[in-house]
Amino acid sequence: MTCSYALYGNACRGRRQTSGKFAKCGDKVFKDGSQGLSRREVAMGEKKNALFTTAVVAAIILIFTVADFFRGDRLYSETENRLLAVRPVASRESIFSGEFAKDYETYVTDQFVGRDKWIGIKTRMDILLQKKEINGVYLGSDGYLIEQHLPEDYSELLVAKRTALLQKLVEQWDATVMLVPTADNILTDKMPANAPYYDQAELLEMIAEQVGDSHYVDVYGSLRAHAEEEIYYRTDHHWTSLGAYYGYLAWAENRGEDPFAYRLNAMAVASEDFLGTLHSKTNLDRKGDTIRYFASTEKRPITVTYDFQRETDTFYEESYLETKNQYGFFLDDNHAFIQIDTSYRNGKTLFVIKDSYANSMIPLLTPHYQRIYVVDLRYYNGRLSALMKQMEPEEGMDVLVLYNCIHFLEEFSYTE
Amino acid sequence: MFLFRFLPIFFLIYFLVPGRGKNVILFLGSLIFYAWGEPVYIVLMLFSTVVDYVNGRLIGRFRGRAQAKFFLVLSVVINLFILCFFKYADFLIQTVINLTGASLPLLNLPLPIGISFYTFQTMSYTIDVYRGKAKMQKSILDFGVYVTMFPQLIAGPIVKYSSVEENLHNRKIDMVGISRGVKRFVAGLAKKALLANTIGELWAMITAMEFGSISAFTAWMGIFAFAFQIYFDFSGYSDMAIGLGEIMGFHFPENFNYPYIASSITEFWRRWHISLGSWFREYVYIPLGGNRKGVLRQLLNILIVWTLTGIWHGAGWNFLFWGLWFAFLLMIEKLFLGKVLNRLPKGIGILYNAAAVLFGWVLFALETPVEIGGYLRAMFRFGSNLIDSQGLYLFGEYFILFAIALIASTPLPGRIIGRLEKSETGWGIALYRLGEKVVPALLLLLCTAVIVDATFNPFLYFRF
Repeated sequence: MTCSYALYGNACRGRRQTSGKFAKCGDKVFKDGSQGLSRREVAMGEKKNALFTTAVVAAIILIFTVADFFRGDRLYSETENRLLAVRPVASRESIFSGEFAKDYETYVTDQFVGRDKWIGIKTRMDILLQKKEINGVYLGSDGYLIEQHLPEDYSELLVAKRTALLQKLVEQWDATVMLVPTADNILTDKMPANAPYYDQAELLEMIAEQVGDSHYVDVYGSLRAHAEEEIYYRTDHHWTSLGAYYGYLAWAENRGEDPFAYRLNAMAVASEDFLGTLHSKTNLDRKGDTIRYFASTEKRPITVTYDFQRETDTFYEESYLETKNQYGFFLDDNHAFIQIDTSYRNGKTLFVIKDSYANSMIPLLTPHYQRIYVVDLRYYNGRLSALMKQMEPEEGMDVLVLYNCIHFLEEFSYTE
Repeated sequence: MFLFRFLPIFFLIYFLVPGRGKNVILFLGSLIFYAWGEPVYIVLMLFSTVVDYVNGRLIGRFRGRAQAKFFLVLSVVINLFILCFFKYADFLIQTVINLTGASLPLLNLPLPIGISFYTFQTMSYTIDVYRGKAKMQKSILDFGVYVTMFPQLIAGPIVKYSSVEENLHNRKIDMVGISRGVKRFVAGLAKKALLANTIGELWAMITAMEFGSISAFTAWMGIFAFAFQIYFDFSGYSDMAIGLGEIMGFHFPENFNYPYIASSITEFWRRWHISLGSWFREYVYIPLGGNRKGVLRQLLNILIVWTLTGIWHGAGWNFLFWGLWFAFLLMIEKLFLGKVLNRLPKGIGILYNAAAVLFGWVLFALETPVEIGGYLRAMFRFGSNLIDSQGLYLFGEYFILFAIALIASTPLPGRIIGRLEKSETGWGIALYRLGEKVVPALLLLLCTAVIVDATFNPFLYFRF
């Protein structure tokens, strides 16, 4: 029997003396300090270990080097949402300027076999090291992904510019302003500790002062009060239909309207595996979100006309539920202009100027108007006032500006 | 790219080619390696090689006569001229412009990679041959190998000719040495990719902020991040170089010895970038008289050596002041502070060293007086902005990395591994054997993940 020490290819040091004997090491031992194993055996043992270590490392390097040669090049990465580098062309100038070497390096890295898995490993390492933000998305508690908006990105000048444009609409059209704060401002206890965010409460207070209380819908307060509920999606930057409902209640209060009796416990489920924009940015394994909506918005027949062309009888496009962009379910994703004719013949018309946040809220307005016009300024290239004058009926119309705060600061602009 | 194309192909060919051919492969491989990053100025490196090869032979031929000294001086002058021209010309021109207001055109020369390293290496050759410390090298191939060897070409260690003279034509390649080299290489790669690059991201974030609005806490955190980044970056590169050399049978000198546990600046510079300090000591400090010509002369020698050390790191006033800062501390340590520190507990020495080195890094890392001033003000803004939520947030994201970096910069992990290796218990040995096989592979995989994920892979000592 050999002692456990010698077993692993080491020389018995002969130093473990227990009362003058090396009791543990069996017949291979020594009393006078001579080696338990012969020097050759020791060397062989060390050599075997060295060989193993080297072989493992070499194998890893060789496997990936060779694998790269067998795999063809990918053109596009879905996870990274960009085109991948292609093999650069070698020319005299590109080699001498060093461009070729740089481009080749990028090419090898971009086309590395299993690139997505490697990025996944790195992401998991980052999370272990307590990184709280990936690609502009905060890793909140309770499974929430929250889009990051940093204060330094929104200057006072920008705010002033947008507010001035908004003010014009308020003055000319008596517009109602509904600006929805993003999740980082409402779900504050789900945010990582001390994480920086752009404080929209201040912005909204300032805007409320500017446009006047009668024109300002306090969505912030309404959402704040229900912050514990699922008012934002966990994997997407939009608010849920429940959040839109609370926004709708705030709107009704501002307009002095009686809110329609939508039943929260009777919401229809459109999908249970919605993985939204924030999931695409972070690529972590997440459970899908549930998309709910108020089927009673379609209790009475409606007609929706997209871009003066396509007519349909529903707000909700089921075909999107098969794609990645499931939020497009609401009002067929993005259109420059939408006209909605409801069965509530009260002669009232609404003109909405909006971003994608409005898509899940507008159906809730159905019982209040006979006709609703919706324009998305990102896609409408004409002059806004001309369009509005054209659409305005004799009796006049209500005007609603409905954006989330960040989109408002980033995108709100129109040609008069 | 280097890891998954150059290395496997190079070593495959290297180990297949017998005997003398290995030097040919090493030389050609190194040229390809260098040309890949520096396609134009490879000519300069070859020029320096040929010049000093010829000078070396001539010095050897005229040994003991006046001509030998002439060729030595010629070699030094040519090397220094190349170095100064490409590295310092614009700095000097800019200084003249600032002083006289003349409008001179800047040359805008790109700095050839590794020029500070290979010129110092070739100079060490001619000087050693002149002194008789080394025999002149008859084979231009072998000499070329010495100068251009890719492991240490870009970032050192600065290998004196005498220390690898033997290895050039006589190297033992055995499995145990190779595996040691492999482990060393992977350790260096891990230091660079897993520690330096990641904590460097924190420093990059902080330097992008307005220094006027960051808290003192954030500022200190930032300079600590830089201190760790530059240490792991540079010592990681040295480890990779030493490891690769060991695989081929070369024994390069150690370049770092846990500098952050030093308890005096004198000790720090015996642990940081050892090969540079050693080069300056042997070829400048001692020839100037070292400490053998009285205290006053010694102080002057220190001043000269450290001025040179400072500007070796970069063509800029901040680098000069960085060197002078250490010159100042070394002088007062020689005069009285050293003895005082010896009598105080080690902890105080370590704190003193840390403060001095961190202050030095602010000078080193931020190059303009405006930035340096702003950052220092931020660091000492204890009254108005000691700590803020931004600092806490960043700390929350990086404290684990800091802890790992701190432990990794001490000899502790090395000692634990060493004790496991020599352990006399069965499980200790088993753990070591298992670790020896698994850890390098694991680290390599993690490094690959980091490298594939990032296109951001800076090396801080690149201006050499």
